[in-house]
Amino acid sequence: MSWFKLNRSLHRDIGYFCIGMTLVFAISGIALNHIHQFNSNYQVTRTSHTITLSGLDIETDHFEATLLATLQLEDKVKARFWQDQTTYKLFLEEDTTLYLYPEQNEVLVEQVEPRFLLRQLNFLHLNEARAAWMWFSDFYAILLIYLAVSALFMVKGKRGVLGPRGLLVLAGFAAPAAFIIFYSH
Amino acid sequence: MKTIVTPILMIGALVLSQTTIAKTYNGGADMSKLLPISTLLNNAQKYTTEPVTIKGTVTRVCQKRGCWMQLASDKKFQTLRVKVRDGDMVFPMTAQGKTAFATGTLKIHPLTLEQTNQRRKAQKLEPVDTAQVLHLFAPVAVTIKD
Repeated sequence: MSWFKLNRSLHRDIGYFCIGMTLVFAISGIALNHIHQFNSNYQVTRTSHTITLSGLDIETDHFEATLLATLQLEDKVKARFWQDQTTYKLFLEEDTTLYLYPEQNEVLVEQVEPRFLLRQLNFLHLNEARAAWMWFSDFYAILLIYLAVSALFMVKGKRGVLGPRGLLVLAGFAAPAAFIIFYSH
Repeated sequence: MKTIVTPILMIGALVLSQTTIAKTYNGGADMSKLLPISTLLNNAQKYTTEPVTIKGTVTRVCQKRGCWMQLASDKKFQTLRVKVRDGDMVFPMTAQGKTAFATGTLKIHPLTLEQTNQRRKAQKLEPVDTAQVLHLFAPVAVTIKD
């Protein structure tokens, strides 16, 4: 097999192998770029309820049981905490937090749920798995370098990078170079 | 058939991996160095260089990047924020209400009067006339328990 055919075969097969990882990094990359507009890790829902709290001793098991029944929450309180003089928090087992505002007779129910798939993709992108994933990511990066370089030799002659399509390669370098020139000062 | 099964298996593996997300960071906190948060804050300067382990209920977590979490002190109304550089550790929002142990040192950041009152306003507290000091705990290892 000539080196040209070998290069095309390797480019194709490594390309297939990289599809999964590329999707992981591309999707989570967009999600993390826009994390301030859209929380791609968690879906947080908050609902407000007006419940009489003033004058009640809210630091009792009896009150907690009554409150959960009123809110129709079948859950258990795992921790409780005065955030400040006006806010009492009850943490439930199932990723729910109750914010109690006795002065306003208000209870805010905050439920946190990891987003399907996006949370896992972000977990990988931010390397929360640490060492093992880091080595695998390095391996993937090396494969990407191979894909980039080998792409230059996919088509021979003027129909390849030696022809007008070479301008696409230059444009690919020019874009990051322009950002560095304009934004790195 | 294979073209359908492969992506389904990949997505399944990623979703299942949610349950394996680590609850310890950098090997977990050193439980032999436990110190109450109130004691730490009473001797703040001392613990800027001497590593200790603090313990507290996680009362808040950075929603977007998981780069900080707030621990309840043993003293009423007192909290301490555990802060890492983005990406060094990622604290899950689902840690709220759980007990966290963090080993590290204290960082002291004096605030201006304006910064002090901005923070107090955000916490719905009355403004003050004197600038305050912000304490942040910089961990090297963390354990979060149910």
